Amino acid sequence: MTFYAQFCIPFIIGTFFLAAVVIIKYVSWLRNLPKSDLKLIAKGLFSTRTIAAVWEVVCESLLHRRIFRVNPLLGYMHMSLAFGWFLLIVVGWIETVAYLGFEWVPLQGHVFFKYFVPLNGITAHKPMFDFAMDMLLLFVLSGVALAWAKRVRSRMMGMKRTTKHIFFDRVALSALWFIFPTRLVAESITAAIYGGGGFLTGGIGSLLAQNIGVEYLQMAYEPIWWLYSIALGTFFVAMPFSRYMHIFTEIPLIFLRHYRVRPEIKEKSYDNFEVEACSRCGICIDPCQLQLQLGINDVQSVYFLRDRRYNMLQQKIANNCLMCGRCEQICPVGINLNTLRQNSRTSMRNIPNEGRYNYLRGLDRSEGEGKVGYFAGCMTLLTPNTLTSMQRIFEAAHERVWWADKEGGVCCGRPLRLSGETDSAQKMVDFNKALFAKHNITTLVTSCPICLRIFKEEYNLEGVEVLHHSEYILRLIRQGRLRTGYSAEQRFTYHDPCELGRGSGIYDEPRAVIEAVGQLLEPDHNRRNAFCCGSSVANTAINDAQQLTIASKVAEELDSTGADIVVTACPQCKKAITRGSKLRVMDLSEVVAQNLK
Amino acid sequence: MINFGFSINKPRTIDIDRNNLRKSNEILREMPELQTCIGCGTCTATCTAGNLTDFNFRKVHTQVRRGEYQGVYEELNKCMLCGKCRMLCPRGINTRGVVMLIKRKLGDF
Repeated sequence: MTFYAQFCIPFIIGTFFLAAVVIIKYVSWLRNLPKSDLKLIAKGLFSTRTIAAVWEVVCESLLHRRIFRVNPLLGYMHMSLAFGWFLLIVVGWIETVAYLGFEWVPLQGHVFFKYFVPLNGITAHKPMFDFAMDMLLLFVLSGVALAWAKRVRSRMMGMKRTTKHIFFDRVALSALWFIFPTRLVAESITAAIYGGGGFLTGGIGSLLAQNIGVEYLQMAYEPIWWLYSIALGTFFVAMPFSRYMHIFTEIPLIFLRHYRVRPEIKEKSYDNFEVEACSRCGICIDPCQLQLQLGINDVQSVYFLRDRRYNMLQQKIANNCLMCGRCEQICPVGINLNTLRQNSRTSMRNIPNEGRYNYLRGLDRSEGEGKVGYFAGCMTLLTPNTLTSMQRIFEAAHERVWWADKEGGVCCGRPLRLSGETDSAQKMVDFNKALFAKHNITTLVTSCPICLRIFKEEYNLEGVEVLHHSEYILRLIRQGRLRTGYSAEQRFTYHDPCELGRGSGIYDEPRAVIEAVGQLLEPDHNRRNAFCCGSSVANTAINDAQQLTIASKVAEELDSTGADIVVTACPQCKKAITRGSKLRVMDLSEVVAQNLK
Repeated sequence: MINFGFSINKPRTIDIDRNNLRKSNEILREMPELQTCIGCGTCTATCTAGNLTDFNFRKVHTQVRRGEYQGVYEELNKCMLCGKCRMLCPRGINTRGVVMLIKRKLGDF
């Protein structure tokens, strides 16, 4: 039996090229992983984590469950292309086995099996396989049709905006669009000339034979198989350099993620897996407030990852991000977008400077004594109402408090860290850690979610419980140490701060505190979908007017809930929303302090 | 000499025509809003680092605009980038962006 024809050359070249590039990439990335990551992989490889990873690969890489959650039609489009193509390959392979037994057949023999059937004089006919293969082809073609329709009208799939693609992506995309229609035509013409084919290829084949004539179809026979092979070859060559690298890369990424490998504050080899697993689907564009409310459309995560991947990332792109996490929570691949953004900034701006914060040495402006420490944070010092409210709450609960920075303290280090100067930020972390240790506190309360996050994630405060003031106040209320008056006539709405909600997963505590005092009305975007106030310390690129625009849009939504008072739990958010809102804006602690019994 | 507890600054002149304003102009081109500064000093009054040292942001960015760059990078290294100045600036100047921009232009990244 022969399984070679000249038209297979583009396909064969493409396949070998693709395999070589992908292997070279993965081997070099894996080899450069730090030792600690390799240890994690070794530990997880023969455990149940591998099984969990396989299951996730099936659910995500093939079925695209997370995209279904974004939009069912969009999910179907991705699933039909990925799962459909996968099944075409698998069923196609079974088909050759059914015809030929377990005889070794080269790769092109499987892919172009319909061409080689008449060539090798196989006369046996297996209608079941013809039907199955035609069904699958139809399944994939429906996805291609939807992809075309998405180009024209993306809104029907719930996407207001789609990604602007670069040249290589366009080449790969066009090739991908050609693959299945040319396959359909090639198999139909084959069916027209030699018979066979299922309801789709056979049906189209007999139509073609009646209307065009077999002698003309014979002229088109070789060229159309050439075209199919060229489309495949082109796609395979463009694939590792285009967004379609995600097809393969998502698989090792899922495994590594299950082995607990994570990106860190400094770039490392693992980041390559995350960066190249981005399919540039553009789902992150719509939720981005810089796009939604300011019309900035070149800084979103999809463009950031693209620029980073092709080594053309500019500081102004990397810096222009609120790091609110709205894109991260919707990303269907689950890429750690904020961490990657942050470690790009670190690569660009981290200059170690040993002597930089020498002036911190021996500093201690704290006052009071107690097992509970209160760290106001820079921003809270600028919202003194929060500070005095906390003081009243502490007094009402008869808590003895150590005030870490009432008379001015040292920044927690997170703003500097977010800007990329990681090593310098560590100086502040070390300073504050030593300060907390010196005063023997067991609980650390802060009213700034920015501080809260770095305390929890980077400080490693052993024996110290870190609480946001919303958690702390709720605990006091539940313990009966704080008595508040309830009045249903007080109507509040609550703005979720990014660092508290998506950042630290604290959604319910502030709501419970508000409901202990009055009625809570939710805005349209809340909890995981909450908007950012626009004044995020992570963004050093947008100007004041732009911050105000975002704040006004967010405040508009809060104002329209029918509440009398907007409550938030972050000094930064409070300042920002106050500028945009017509209502009174209060910190959670103020609301509680005002309603103390 | 009797120590009265204070001293007088040495007399000095700033000759803007002689200063090299290339970097200064670059900075103002990238961050034109810095020209709207009214020099009120709110940034300096609220500054976390200024509270602990003699770091004076108003002085530093004024020096830069005049083309006097000596010691500016080292001085700006005292900044913790906490963002209080940006929150209070009555002209809404992106002060954190200014710090990062000046450091980028005068430093080595």
